[in-house]
Amino acid sequence: MLLAVEHLTKVFGKFKAVDDVSFAVGEGEIVALVGPNGAGKTTTIHMLLGLITPTWGSIRLFGKRFEDHREEILQKLNFTSPYMAMPGRLTVGENLKVFARIYNVREAAAKIDALLERFGILHLKNKPVARLSSGESTRVCLCKAFLNDPDLLLFDEPTAYLDPQAALQVREILLDLQARCATTILITSHNMRDVQQMCGRIIFLDRGRVMAIGTPLEVTRKVLNEDRVAPALDEVFIRIAQSRFDETTSN
Amino acid sequence: MKPHRIRAVILRHAYEVSHNGNHLSNMIYWPVVNIVVWGFFTIYLRRGDHLQPGLVNCLLGAVILWGLFNAFQRDMAVGFLDELWSRNLVNLFGSPLSVSEYVTGLIAVNLVKATIGMAAEAVVAWFFYHYNIFPMLPAFVPFILNLALFALAVGIAVTGLIFRYTTKFQTMAWSVAGLLMPLSCVFYPLKSLPGFLQPAAWALPTTHSFEGMREAIERGAFSLSHFEWGLELNVVYFILAALFFRWMFESARARGLLVKLD
Repeated sequence: MLLAVEHLTKVFGKFKAVDDVSFAVGEGEIVALVGPNGAGKTTTIHMLLGLITPTWGSIRLFGKRFEDHREEILQKLNFTSPYMAMPGRLTVGENLKVFARIYNVREAAAKIDALLERFGILHLKNKPVARLSSGESTRVCLCKAFLNDPDLLLFDEPTAYLDPQAALQVREILLDLQARCATTILITSHNMRDVQQMCGRIIFLDRGRVMAIGTPLEVTRKVLNEDRVAPALDEVFIRIAQSRFDETTSN
Repeated sequence: MKPHRIRAVILRHAYEVSHNGNHLSNMIYWPVVNIVVWGFFTIYLRRGDHLQPGLVNCLLGAVILWGLFNAFQRDMAVGFLDELWSRNLVNLFGSPLSVSEYVTGLIAVNLVKATIGMAAEAVVAWFFYHYNIFPMLPAFVPFILNLALFALAVGIAVTGLIFRYTTKFQTMAWSVAGLLMPLSCVFYPLKSLPGFLQPAAWALPTTHSFEGMREAIERGAFSLSHFEWGLELNVVYFILAALFFRWMFESARARGLLVKLD
């Protein structure tokens, strides 16, 4: 397994953000971490990146314990997160050059141009990041994520700030790049259409716990407790969010 | 530590300096304004009847060296604040870049910036106030080294505080030097301080640097004891600052603050 998470738990004060989560992701898979707001998706991703220390549990990436091989592991993966931005005064090209150095990318200039062109933003190369729209910034972050040809990509809400057409385009690019490089992707999203189209497996989280793991169809059947013939992740999502809302109001 | 990652940090901050007028102003404008004001003050002093020999040189030397200390410690913290303000921390610390590589890169950038600022002050002092620091530099270098080391320790400690307590502590980047200044005996000898403050002043490497600088100017002698005291204190403060930073950084990671710093 490329990624193996066992009994991962994160407690902030009295609040359990992630509660005994275990899952594994194999090479070349596209797996989604989904769930309503506060389900623990982003905290899990941040623990995988070493940005948050787990309270309990273990993370193994590429067969190695994260705590013992941080730099080696992070060299082989990359990510995007809605919690990040790039220095606004630096141009798109300058920012990517800095990250190319961090990841020790060979022939960085050519690589940067190729990625900017692939994501349709080559014309923005000399523009300061602060002057980009949120959709353009998202694409720059996606370029950064592919700079080091990562074996594992962690995408936290990659299409959150994109209009539907741009989201579709980015989804196609991601799938194309994934198909060509066999990159493993772990993605979090609220967009169930994205998830259904892109992901072979889903890990459904709610209030920090794993509710279901499986293909979109398996998760649909398990959560809705019905013998469906096609996945209906929107319904699954609404059902879980509704049950949480009912529980909160009855309390 | 990988050199390419340290070079990446240097490149990131070099770009920031080239695009950000605040950095240029901190690096050159304020040091020059400072030396101009103090320069005029020394012209006024020279007209007095009871001017102590070497006083003007001591004052201008102190202004230049204190400027170096202030700029170095401030820019360590401000360099980190630049990442925080631009929400770049997640990008950096979710990459293979280590904290020690980041800090090393920042030190390299700030050494260059502080040196440029000091050089600008020295040139202004030389041309306009006939104070030439350059022949004195060999005697000053050990004390400059101690000032830089202490500035680094203070900068690291303040950065640790900002990691843990976020921007609530960001004003420390600009104010710590002010807190240390009265006890550092920048413009007056240690014996001018009240007796009860002298032990506290003695415990600061900055005090030893300025005492040593005054000895070098007034007697033309290198004070080995002030250099050694300063260096030994620096070793202690540097270790404490590094441990404190590690503690604050791990505490911020445990509390999930790295992704929520703003």
